[in-house]
Formats: sequence, structure tokens, C-alpha cells
Amino acid sequence: MSYREVFVFPNNGQDRIVEAFVGEYASGKSEAAINRALELFSAGQSVTLVDLDTVEPFYTIRPLKEALIAKGLNVISFSRSDSFGLGETGAMLHPQARWTLMHEGSLIIDVGYGVHGIRTLNLIEGAYESPELEIVAVINSCRPMTNSVSKIVDYIKELGRIDAIVANAHLGDETTVKDVINGNMIITRAADILNIPVKYAGVDEKLRDEISKIDLSWRIKYFTRYMPQAMW
Amino acid sequence: MAIAPATPKSWYLPTKPHKFCPGCGHGIVLKALGENIDELGIQNDIIFGCDIGCSLLAWDFFACDSTQTHHGRVTPVMVGLKRSRPELLTVGYMGDGGGYSIGSQHLLNAAVRNETITLILVNNTNYGMTGGQMSPTTLPGQVTETTPLGRDTAITGYPTKGPEFLSTLTSDGAYIARATVSKYKQLKRFMRNALRNQIEGNGFSFLEVLATCPTNWRTNAQQTWNFLEDEIEKEFRVGEMKTPFGKGDKEVAVD
Amino acid sequence: MEKIVEGSTRAFLTGNETIAWASLVAGAEFMFGYPITPQNEIMHYWTRLAPKYGRGFLQTEDEISAGFTVCGAVQGGKKAFTATAGPGNVLMQEPFGMAEAMRLPMVAIIQQRGGPSSGTVIYSQQEVNLTTFGGNGEGYRIVYSTASHQELYDYTIKAFNTAWTYRFPTFILGDGYQAKMREPLELYDPQEKGITLAESFPLVGLPGVIGENRQPQHLNNIYSLEEELYEKVMTFSAVFEKISPEIVEYEEDSCEGADIILISHGVVSRAARDAMLILRSQGIKAGYFRPVTLRPFPDEALKKVILQSNAKKALIAESSYGQLTRLIKQSIYGETINIDTLYKPGVGIVDYDIINKVKSIL
Repeated sequence: MSYREVFVFPNNGQDRIVEAFVGEYASGKSEAAINRALELFSAGQSVTLVDLDTVEPFYTIRPLKEALIAKGLNVISFSRSDSFGLGETGAMLHPQARWTLMHEGSLIIDVGYGVHGIRTLNLIEGAYESPELEIVAVINSCRPMTNSVSKIVDYIKELGRIDAIVANAHLGDETTVKDVINGNMIITRAADILNIPVKYAGVDEKLRDEISKIDLSWRIKYFTRYMPQAMW
Repeated sequence: MAIAPATPKSWYLPTKPHKFCPGCGHGIVLKALGENIDELGIQNDIIFGCDIGCSLLAWDFFACDSTQTHHGRVTPVMVGLKRSRPELLTVGYMGDGGGYSIGSQHLLNAAVRNETITLILVNNTNYGMTGGQMSPTTLPGQVTETTPLGRDTAITGYPTKGPEFLSTLTSDGAYIARATVSKYKQLKRFMRNALRNQIEGNGFSFLEVLATCPTNWRTNAQQTWNFLEDEIEKEFRVGEMKTPFGKGDKEVAVD
Repeated sequence: MEKIVEGSTRAFLTGNETIAWASLVAGAEFMFGYPITPQNEIMHYWTRLAPKYGRGFLQTEDEISAGFTVCGAVQGGKKAFTATAGPGNVLMQEPFGMAEAMRLPMVAIIQQRGGPSSGTVIYSQQEVNLTTFGGNGEGYRIVYSTASHQELYDYTIKAFNTAWTYRFPTFILGDGYQAKMREPLELYDPQEKGITLAESFPLVGLPGVIGENRQPQHLNNIYSLEEELYEKVMTFSAVFEKISPEIVEYEEDSCEGADIILISHGVVSRAARDAMLILRSQGIKAGYFRPVTLRPFPDEALKKVILQSNAKKALIAESSYGQLTRLIKQSIYGETINIDTLYKPGVGIVDYDIINKVKSIL
């Protein structure tokens, strides 16, 4: 039996999407992953969002799990209520995450930061062999380790295989149009050097009016920010 | 013919005579250390660190920079100093309680990491400064304040064999030996090797020295010597267990 | 050597990363650490950054060792630090005590988690007692309680300067929320900002030749007689009290003429300030007071604020059960202001928690 026969599931007649978002803390990878999952769901797909943060698993999409399920996503993550009363911090890896590829429908995987980079994907059986998998690096040029073309190039090289980049220059609530334009230009230049496509630039929904007036060469996706609610 | 001076040059004379009990083994160990410091010419390079216990009485013993720490903690202080100032020679000085009991976690991890420090552990088979309680190296049957009927191995196990376990834990470059104050020339030579090993940057160096404690043993001079030579040295094998200098000392009793 | 931070830039970071960057620009040369949540990313980022700038790191066998290796490194004259939380903070009280006794300029970052015992790995303000007065002594420590990433950056730089200027162990008291939150801050080179970095100096391993041009250094922390220790402790007390006015820091806002003063520290003070503004917009005269240094505590400032405000009530809000209140009560002994409390041990406090409490007691 070929690999495809075992692991590849169609999604309402379309090829399904399997995307893994990797990036540093505060790069916006969880935000990008959530927004992407909701976008696919809106387009009529069945979508599973997988939390694969193993370094600091207690500060990720866990507090958002119920809200995201209410929006229609299937979420593989522990929730706060799963943990309550356990008397301990809980397991790091949700058992279902290991077999994520067996789920039908599209898969969006939020890979937590760690020095192992994309090697964390080894925790999902069959991920590397999957012809469907696209590994997306989320880069925020407002972070000191990725704030120049050369640093971004070095950083992405360290990550290993990266198929696409989401340019996500931002300063949280303080993000200005200038941050978006200057930052994403730096990221795009690095992507050109690496010959990795920039899928789109992520921009806070709040900046839509201002950004949409500007003629920009890259594709824009407006992000609704969910992660600020993930803290208390 | 040159006559050796009565006290090593590196001893700090304002604090002499020293504070150890008459017949205590520490004085002999510190004499060997002083003479080695003089002969190796390292008085200005050495940082002498004391643990708690009787070893702390040596805190101002040498005309060398020194620091006195907490019980069991001289090892991490020496590690911190050496890591931040690799050009210095750090010598930690401790007893069997500080090294093998409360500080054993530090001792074995420093050994495993092959820290380039020298540790000297004076083993007199009891906690001297706190009044003669059982220590990890108390002999089976030995009476101490906390083993009034003698150490019962069924309850408290057998004496800790420090150099033996450290030899197993350490990697190449380590120097591990046990000496005794009853064989001064050998003690001095082993100590020189333990210092030389750090000077050459080979790795972890550890010397246990079997020593006398007549005050807590309640022994007179002859009994003290007998207990050391006839009982302690039978329990604890003297020799170089591990050395980066070739075959090791010839006096090693090979099993 | 490559410059660590060029000019001054806005950046988006977690709190723990912020501390790693701040320690770098403050000139820290060595970190000794042991894993415990929620401080881990301080080590994670330090170990990624340190080799690029010739700085050192050692992961020790436990927190006791991490604290004592820092003691050794600062005795050798190097700016060194550690970071811990909860049970690790308990274990580090032993080396912190040695640092007090020997006036060692060590820096420790505390990211508070829930307690007692292992508690939670997430958040609390329950390490106030431990960090200010945790040792077997009188608490000769300097403790900065931060509230934002900008403060984590600013005060980490300041902590190294304070430690090496005054020679008392110096602490950044953060918490798990600050450790993990992401928010923008300004990264800068302190020297370009006109901040002079305190010089480090060795206490042992000094240059020179012993007996020729210098005396041997004999450092100790144990004494034979009560009187010897008494002299030492009284000297420490005198020094600590003398320098305290130079060190204490606090924030005060709108207390004059207030009916109620909201007192809090650390990350809770952000909620308290918001609460004060909202209450004022609703016609309730609330004031805001926040000690930045918990040790030494801004006693005089708080007394003065209470006196001048004429407020009849104070509300103390803390994510612990009275640890801040204890510090406040001993500071303002003799004042007749009525004290109410909002205690949420190990749980976050938001502006409406405080607003609702104020409305229930006014």
C-alpha cells in the first residue's frame, strides 16, 4: 500500500491542506495558524488545528481551545478544563497530535518554538513523508534575532526545511503601517535570497483601512488577533 | 645543604599557631598543601575555598586569597570561580560530611562535568566540629554521638568510598587519589599531582586524605595512630585510583 | 565584538527573552541556571545569544549550585546572574544568604509561580516574603518588582548596576505572566542612553604579589563569637539604611484628595492603574500607589502620600494572601487609614476585580 493510500484524505472533493506554522515566540505563528484554520473553515472545509508546542505547552492556544471549537474548528490541544484537577501540569503532547495525519480534512499545525525547529514535526507520525505537508515559517522582523535580512537568512537556514514564509512584521498593539511596510520588505528580501516564496504578509485587521489604500506588491492577509486573550 | 623552613612560606603567620586540636590531621594536610604551593610557585594564583566543618578553620590559614563557604557548597563556589576566571587555581577544602553527605550532589556532578578544579577532602570518619556525629565514612561499629552503640550497617549502610565512586564517574583527564596523613611523602606527592593536574588543565582533581581526630575519637596519641593505621587504612585503600600521568603511583595496592 | 543593540529599536518579545537581552547589554558575563518554569526561556535565549558575544553559561545540578556558582563567579569579579522560581527560589535562599553575609553583588531573576510547594508553573505574587526576607538573617537585599517588559529591560540593567554599586544581592521580582507575555518595548544600548555601567571588581584573585604589594584576601561568613557577628550585622544594617533612600522607587498617581488609595505591586499595578482611571471617570476619587522596590520599601513615601491625601481607605490588591499587605502595614505603622484587601493568591487580577471591590467597600 502506498503512503498516499494510507495517509491522504480528500476534503470535500478538494485536496486537503496540511500546513505547519513554525516560528519564535512572539513571531505570530499561533495567530497565523488560527487565522488560517478559520479561513479554511469559512471556505467550507473541515479543519483540525493542532497545538504542537512542547517547550512551554501551558502558554499556547490551550486557553483558546473552547472558543475555537465553538467557531467550528476541531482542536487537538489540552484545554484548561482538561488540566483542572489533575494535580499536575499535564502531559506535554496530546496523544491525538501524534496521529494528526489520520484525521480527515485540512490540518493546521502550530509548532511551538524550540531549538529543534521543525524537527518537532517528527512527533507527528508520517509528517515528513507526507507529500501534502507545507512548512511555513512565520517571521516577525520586530524581534531582535530576526530584525535584518542577514539575521533572517541565518535563522531560516537554522530551522531546516522551510517551504514558504509568512511575513508578519508587528509590534503587537503598537504596530504601525510603517512597521508593516518596512519590516515586511526586509523579510521579503531575505526570502528572495533564500529563494523561498512569501505566501502573504500578515497584517492586523485594525490596520486594514490604512494598508488597503497602499499599493503593495505582496499579498496581504488580515489577521484577527486571538492570542492576547490567551493570557489572563 | 639547604635546610627546609619549619613552616611553608605560603602559610599566613599572623594566624599561627593554627586553631586545630592537638593531634588533628588537618595540620599535616595543610602543611603538605603549603609546601606544594611553595614548590609549585602558585601562591598568587590559588584561591583556597573552605567548606563548613573543621575545614573552615583554615579560612585564613594561607597567605593566599581564600573564601569560606557553606556546608557542602565549597564545590559549586570553586566551580563558579574557575568558570569565570580560568586562569586561577581553585582548591576546595572539605571534610567527609561536607563532601560525601550534604555536598555529594555537587561533588559528583562536578566530577562528571570534569570541572578543572582541585578538591581536597579530609576524611576523619566523623563530623568533628558539631561534636563527633556519624558521617558517611564512619567505620562499621565505630561509636559516635549519633551511633552510641556503634555504627550498625543494617541501619546506616557501609562507609562511602569517595575516590572509588569518583573514579567510575570521571572521564579522561581526571586525577583521583586517596592518601593518609600517616604517609606524609606520599600525601605530598599525591597532592602535588592533584594541583599539577589543574595547572595542566587536564580536568577534575580529587584527593581524599585519611586523617586523625583524637578529640572526637577520644584516643590518646598511640591509640590515635593505631586507629588510623590499623582500622581506617584497612577500610579505605590508599593510592592513586585514576591519573592522567601514566601508570599512577607505585605504592598503589593493586587488587 | 559585534554591538548587541544598535541604537534604539522597538521590539516585540516575551518577558524572559527581554531579560536575556537586558543582561547582555548590562554586561553580564556568566549565567548559571537550572531549569524551572516559568523562567526557562531566560536560559534558552541566553544560551543562544551568549556564545555570539563571548559570554558563558553553565547548567548546574540544582538551584543551590546555581546560586553558589554565581557567588563564586562574582567573587572572581565577573558580573554573573541566575534565574529561578518557586521551589527553586526556596533552594536559592541559601546562596542568597551567603551573598548577603559577604556583600556579594549577585543578581537573581525571580519569575514567581504558584505556591506553596510545587504549586503551579503559571503565575503568582507569592514569592514576596521569600525574595525580600527569605534568608536566615535580616534581608539585606534589593528587590525590584517590575510590571512590564520595558521595566524588565530597564530594571535588569539597573539590577547589575545596583548590585555592583552597593554590594547587596539584587533581585528582579517578575512573575509567570510577565515571563510569557508578549509586548513591545524599546531595546537600547545603556551607554548610548547615558547609563554608566558599574565596574565589576574581584574580591579574590587580585592582581599583585602577596606579601610584596598586597595582603591576601580572606573572605568569611562565620564568626566564633556573638559579638563579632553582632558588629557585622549592625554594620550591614547601618549601611543598608544609609543607602536605602538612594535606592527606593515607587509610583504615585492622583492620590491627593483621593477617597481611596489603591496599592499594588508588579503586574497587578497595571490593573490597579487602569482601575483608578476608570473609577475616576465614573466620579470615584481613587488614587494609585505602587512600590517598585519591595526591599527597601518606600516607607516614607507611602506615609507621606497617605497623610497628604486625607484618604480614609486603602485597598491592597495582590495575587497572594497578604504578603504585600504585611510589608505595607509594617511600613505605615501608626497611620489610621482603613485597609481593605483583595487577595487572589496565584490568580491574575484585572481592573474590574479592583473596581468591583472598591464599589463594594466605598
